[in-house]
Amino acid sequence: MNARKLMGLALLALVIVLVACAAPEPTKAPAAKPTEAPAGPKRGGTLTMVVWQEPEHLNPELSTMTVVAHVSLLALEGLTGVNEKGERYPLLATEVPTTANGGVSADGKTITYKLRKTKWHDGLDFTCEDLVFTWKLIMTPNTGALDTGSFKDIETIECPNPNTAVIKFKNFRADWIRLFSGIGLPLPRNAGKPEEFKTWAWNRKPTGTGPYKVVEFVTGDHITFERNPNYWMEGKPYIDKIIVRIVPSSEVAKQLMKNGEADIMWNVTEADLPEIQKMSNVKLFDAPQAGGERLILNLVKPGDPADNKTPHPILGDVRVRQAIAYGIDRKTIIDKLLNGKALPGTSELNVDPYNCTEIKPWPYDPAKAKQLLDEAGWKPGPDGIRVKDGQRLRLKYQTTTGNKLREDSQVLIVENMKAIGIEFYIENQPASLLIGSWAANSPRKKGNFDILMYTTNASIDPHSQMFNYFHSSSIPSPDNQGGVNYSRWNDPETDKLIEKAGSLPDWNQRKPLYCQAAARITEGASHIYLYQRYNLQLFNTRVQGWIANSWGGPTWNIWDQWLK
Amino acid sequence: MTRYIIRRSLQAIPVLFIVSIIVFTLIQIAPNNPLAAYQNNPNITPEDLLRLEQEYGFNDPIHIKYIKWLSQIVRGNWGDSFVTHRPVMTEIAERLPNTLYLSGIAFLLALVIAIPIGMISAVRQYSWFDHVATTIAFMGQSIPIFWFGLLLIIVFSVNLQNPFAGTSLFPHPPPLPLFPGGGMMTLGEYPPDPLVDRIWHLVLPVTMLAVFQLAQHVRYMRAGMLDVLHQDYIRTAHAKGLRERAVILKHAFKNAALPLVTIIALELPGLFNGALFTETIFSWPGMGRLFFNSAERGDYTVLMAILMISATLIIFFNLVADITYAFLDPRIRYD
Repeated sequence: MNARKLMGLALLALVIVLVACAAPEPTKAPAAKPTEAPAGPKRGGTLTMVVWQEPEHLNPELSTMTVVAHVSLLALEGLTGVNEKGERYPLLATEVPTTANGGVSADGKTITYKLRKTKWHDGLDFTCEDLVFTWKLIMTPNTGALDTGSFKDIETIECPNPNTAVIKFKNFRADWIRLFSGIGLPLPRNAGKPEEFKTWAWNRKPTGTGPYKVVEFVTGDHITFERNPNYWMEGKPYIDKIIVRIVPSSEVAKQLMKNGEADIMWNVTEADLPEIQKMSNVKLFDAPQAGGERLILNLVKPGDPADNKTPHPILGDVRVRQAIAYGIDRKTIIDKLLNGKALPGTSELNVDPYNCTEIKPWPYDPAKAKQLLDEAGWKPGPDGIRVKDGQRLRLKYQTTTGNKLREDSQVLIVENMKAIGIEFYIENQPASLLIGSWAANSPRKKGNFDILMYTTNASIDPHSQMFNYFHSSSIPSPDNQGGVNYSRWNDPETDKLIEKAGSLPDWNQRKPLYCQAAARITEGASHIYLYQRYNLQLFNTRVQGWIANSWGGPTWNIWDQWLK
Repeated sequence: MTRYIIRRSLQAIPVLFIVSIIVFTLIQIAPNNPLAAYQNNPNITPEDLLRLEQEYGFNDPIHIKYIKWLSQIVRGNWGDSFVTHRPVMTEIAERLPNTLYLSGIAFLLALVIAIPIGMISAVRQYSWFDHVATTIAFMGQSIPIFWFGLLLIIVFSVNLQNPFAGTSLFPHPPPLPLFPGGGMMTLGEYPPDPLVDRIWHLVLPVTMLAVFQLAQHVRYMRAGMLDVLHQDYIRTAHAKGLRERAVILKHAFKNAALPLVTIIALELPGLFNGALFTETIFSWPGMGRLFFNSAERGDYTVLMAILMISATLIIFFNLVADITYAFLDPRIRYD
């Protein structure tokens, strides 16, 4: 019978499969004696980094994704970089310009960079012309470049010789050092026409000056990098080849770390920690992130976007705001929701080089909170929620939808508030609605909110952050739709401190001024800082030489990394 | 028949037009655009954000956006992705082969296995083979496909080791998983022979995809066959003394396969869309992931292209199904 024969065959096949599966006992590798690790770094090998966001291309000037910024830095370089202590070190410049070495003029408006004698991957010399090209490109309209606003203050870039660039600013820019370093990395002048920037072939295969060259970019699958043999650092980098493997989720990435297929996992979250702690072959890169999750309190009465003067009926009183700050149990949030791996939020400036360590986190003190509310005239009502002049102490509490960490922390904070007699009610919206543009009627822009919760990460120079978020001239209004001072913090003293700090070329003088401003803001509880998360990356133990850095991805110092 | 085909094809034009309006509106009212991610980036100044919104035309009213899009489409220009800035067709051309390769193999495999199983199952109704087959088919349809995929990974790429690791077949020294948990090829230092590597990477995702389709096809084939086997003409064929094989293959199968033809024709456009779950679980860079990523980022030129092409394919294969039906079943006439 045909059917019977077929059944027999199927059965046979099944048996074969079962035997094949059962046969290979997971053989324990013979317990080889751990060989003595060689003293110094070793050349060679292939490193696999797994990323779970899909880089759309490798041009950081056109991308919002962190993964693009981190991966493209294998091939590209800025004039300077930032190390783990928050200090600047020279890359394509041979020294960091300062007032002391004559790189920065007395008025701070002229910056002179000495450029390194090196070559682009295609053999072209890197010169001052490349900086001029980059600047002009970014200023060309409709290129899609991100940083026009930062580069428009440049008046000219002069090239007295190929390895000197004199950048003249129209007016003093406190954060000049970020240009051509953090933002607007130098582009080679032969890469293409500025008008066609968005569609350059270069975007997927950038020729840079960096330690690695792009060899292959297979969309959605992997990007292969090869050691740049002519890299200017003597004898570096050590690793021959880097494969960036693109996977769709962090679960898959963790699996690859677990079975040793990947050496670095880009961006780990706190929720992954319990699983990671069970892996024996990995080490965690952790450095505090600049900025952090906060509550943003609206100090102005919601309703009329043009009116930025009438105080908020409840939050206009600083005692209520401080009561909220005292009433939040940050430690429980961190322990329960972030596996203990976060710092309590302190102030706007919380990472070196601008770390205002003298500002301490609000202690958890419900008694003090209640006392402040009593003083402000809010007395407990029949159901425990406070009332004043017939008004309930009830506030709308919003964050972005779809973020489990935020939603869970809301539950804890609502409970905390209830305990001191404040009612928070939740009304979450998708990020694009809640934090959208003026034209899209976002409540944040139009001031139609009581309390928002989200994260803002500061950039390395605090000026734009401090000015945009806390200077009174940045309050959004029909005449200033781009403004981002969302809590409508309006304090002449803060304005003065920020303006002063932004006008000084000497960094050492700027820091105390920003910190004084940050202290006023924390004290005034217009932003209530909740927690500061870590920049977490995962390394296989065979990768050596990496250093955790708040300002970089896992491979920020790839030239010092090597494989055991 | 020719007139019928022409008429149906002309009808497709207004249908596609309406589809495009509905889909475009749905995408546009979703509160998302490719710049949404910039909103909280401290490095992007608010002025730059406003400028970019203008450059991309995100602030245009929806009907202006639609007209702009449509006027390009009728000239055959699908536009560029807002995220990668490459032509939409380049994006699709890069992903489509990967998807066809994976889904196509799974589809054919499912079909080739399902038809005989369904037939035997019907012919030997209530035999132990039938019980086993229907139970497995029922399970195949009931288990969540993503869970099945994860199960495959845990068993075959985490728990089980490859016995050939370190041999000429798989030069990678042990430990090496029995089958890889994702990707299309080996990227490390010890790649196997390209053909071996391909097949090795295909085994798990194809299994995951095929099991579901297989289960479905077996049930259709079995039901269709059972229907036919009780017809008078089958009894007549038996009575004429025809051999069992001839009765089943010649008389029963052609009629029993009719419903399956419809199902298959309607499944074909799905091959283009890709299998989101399978592609996500097995890191397969195909159409499903392209669609998902584009939706997430509000990249509407790419979304529109994928949706319009798949709408066209669905209409086309519906027509194909109807024509095939007429061809297989002489009782059906369209004139």
